[in-house]
Amino acid sequence: MSGYQTGLLVILSFNVIAAYAVYLPLSAGQLNLGIAGFMAMGAYTAAYLSNELAWPLTAAIPAGAAASCLLALVVAVPILRTHGIYLALATFALGQVITAVFLNLEVVGAAAGYQVTTFTGPATVIAGAAGVLAFMLLLSRTRFALYLTAIKSDPTVADLMGINVRGMQIAAFAIGAAIAGLGGGLYGHHFSFVEAQHFSVALSVYTVLYVLLGGTQTVFGPLVGAAFFTLLPELLRASQGWRYVFFALFIIGFMATRPQGLITADLLRVFRRSRRAPEAAQP
Amino acid sequence: MSAAPALTLDHLGKAFGGLRVLRDLSFTVRAQEPTALIGPNGAGKTTVFNLVSGVYAPSEGRILLGERDITHMPSRRRIAVGLSRSFQNIRLMSHLTVIENLIVGQHVRASGLLDLVKPFRLVPNHRWRREAIDALAECGLEAYADESVSALPYGIRKRIDLVRATLAGASLLMLDEPAAGLNPTETNAMRAHLELLKKRGVTLLIVEHDMHFVDQVCERVIVLNFGEKIAEGTLAEVQRDPQVRSAYLGDEAA
Amino acid sequence: MIAQQLVNGTMLGAIYVLVAVAFTLAIGVLNFLNFSIPGLFMVGGMGTWILMRLGWHWSVAIGGALLAAALIALCVERLAYRRSQKSDPEVPLVSSLGFLVLLENLVLATVGSDQQPFPALVPDFNLRIGGLVIGAAQIISLVIAVCLVVWLSIMLRKTSLGRQIRGVAENRDTAILLGVDVGRLVPQLFVFSALFTALGGVLFALNYLQVSAFMGEGIGFKGIAAMIIGGMGSVWGAVLGGLLIGLTEVLSISYIGADFVNITVYGLLLVLLILRPQGLLGRAAAREKL
Repeated sequence: MSGYQTGLLVILSFNVIAAYAVYLPLSAGQLNLGIAGFMAMGAYTAAYLSNELAWPLTAAIPAGAAASCLLALVVAVPILRTHGIYLALATFALGQVITAVFLNLEVVGAAAGYQVTTFTGPATVIAGAAGVLAFMLLLSRTRFALYLTAIKSDPTVADLMGINVRGMQIAAFAIGAAIAGLGGGLYGHHFSFVEAQHFSVALSVYTVLYVLLGGTQTVFGPLVGAAFFTLLPELLRASQGWRYVFFALFIIGFMATRPQGLITADLLRVFRRSRRAPEAAQP
Repeated sequence: MSAAPALTLDHLGKAFGGLRVLRDLSFTVRAQEPTALIGPNGAGKTTVFNLVSGVYAPSEGRILLGERDITHMPSRRRIAVGLSRSFQNIRLMSHLTVIENLIVGQHVRASGLLDLVKPFRLVPNHRWRREAIDALAECGLEAYADESVSALPYGIRKRIDLVRATLAGASLLMLDEPAAGLNPTETNAMRAHLELLKKRGVTLLIVEHDMHFVDQVCERVIVLNFGEKIAEGTLAEVQRDPQVRSAYLGDEAA
Repeated sequence: MIAQQLVNGTMLGAIYVLVAVAFTLAIGVLNFLNFSIPGLFMVGGMGTWILMRLGWHWSVAIGGALLAAALIALCVERLAYRRSQKSDPEVPLVSSLGFLVLLENLVLATVGSDQQPFPALVPDFNLRIGGLVIGAAQIISLVIAVCLVVWLSIMLRKTSLGRQIRGVAENRDTAILLGVDVGRLVPQLFVFSALFTALGGVLFALNYLQVSAFMGEGIGFKGIAAMIIGGMGSVWGAVLGGLLIGLTEVLSISYIGADFVNITVYGLLLVLLILRPQGLLGRAAAREKL
């Protein structure tokens, strides 16, 4: 594989991890517009642990994910009291605050950025993304995932069915944050550098954008969305500076004609049925 | 019938702001005695359901399920003590398939942490799925198992809503207008379905406008008007009641 | 000196007010968080700069930029808002974001990513009161912002159009039943909203003498914060929120440090969202759409 291809695959991996971090709470109807803040939490925690305390990578990166998850649990209680647009904006503000705090934290280099001494290669990043994907595929076959969709559809009925709506929402939010933290930890160790400016509003917002582009009805939507978002600008590379113009036009046109996203439940059902049909035909 | 009380409303009242929609309402639904709650539009029937299921908190009075006071029990715990309901405007989860809706309906019987995180849908024909399919098959609906809910006809959705409400294994089932909007064939299927539930010992409490349907399904009738109980008894008895006749202006109940 | 900082904060706040009003019109009436507004802010400033470089007189250039913003807003209405009325609440948010990406990258591809110097149109005249220094551009911004907000507030209360807008905000279905032509009213609202934010962009350029492809992002997002702090859908809330954010920003820059701005501004927003989600002057929303 060429360096270019590997580089692209690494970016795709980071985008896939971020996509699932956004997707999980979104499948319960909660829009997290501050995912970059949780990535920053994971990135800085992991970097600090491996730099200053000489933790091995295998401990530092999961610890970064855990720190991000913990932060989410702490803020979930007040933040998830808000709903809909208020929740989206609360997470938006939270993301900004987290990033700004790291921007001012001298112990991790503040605005100058933070060098990470341990390096991890593309293989780890790709394995991380594959791990997240496998985890999400497994999770999508559980009651938990079913309940999240049920809550998104109708929280009142879900509650009357005996489901702990708030508990499920907090869990989805916190697991999403842990995934974001994992992505952040991998990011810092792969690029050997963490700077708060990277974890911007744009990062959060673009992630949400390609998750919705892929579609939130099924677990494959975010994967397809991330792949699309990574690869389409590359395909448009020939158009140079204009590629994001075409990309944006595509997004607008796409959402106007197919607002439910690329991959929908019905689409998968049709696909499965057509695959099952020939088998059923055999005696 | 001298069966034990399944549900008791004790001087129940509900006001929204200054508007009193229920006042001093007391009645008992006896176990395994299918009961109908009737009355003109706006009499407070659906409010009773919302209070009993915990969607609203009552302004005054108590609600007892069997012997147990559930007045202040959080709504989500009520299904675990044997209370289940359907909705007037069928509220199936539109993002889920039929079978997925039913699996959500099984929740109270599979609510451990392990049940929650087990990727059971990787196992072909897992017992939870099988059980849901069996429940569908009982009323001849198994063909719809993997359909998207939103695409199905009204009458089918209505019965799937009922199947879902039964899957929690509740002893008291509250149905809000089960026959409304159904054609004669669908109404017959619905009635057969309810007979099946009665045979299993489920106590039914039904809000319904179709008196023919009430007559066939229920043994007792409670009549509400303007948030108060105005009559109680068999359908024939309440139909003779002058208060009931005037509440209905002599048309429906006569 | 604190009085001077208060003056500067108020002047910056005036620009946030215009952006916050733009957001609040979209949210309060249409329940639509319109992420293209930061892009339209940039179109106001950058469009003026481009047209002036083409040799247009500044007054025509400003008019041209405002017209461009209004036309783009009509496209947003058609493609992002109207098409997604029956889908998930997040959809219009995504496509309006698409417009932000589009506008920024159009400028990026044609002008480049650098900050461009904006000519000083307002004479370098400073008003001195006591020890305070107030620039002419600052005064103009404040006067324009105040006039516009007062006009909007009167328009909403006194005119037939204003009553229709408030009717739709109150209950869309009832308003339609009462004969409000929503199909005509909504595009008008988008144009209003675009003009407010684009004018904010022009005033920003006049005050800070620079424009860039990304000038709308920081200001636009703080405009959202201002709108929420004031209370979504409330015009005077947007004014209060805009001034509060402007003051908070200027005071934190001078007393804590420039890098702390996001902590104070968004920290304020976060605390408010948790304690009083409906905002300082807002009423609790019954239903909302993203």
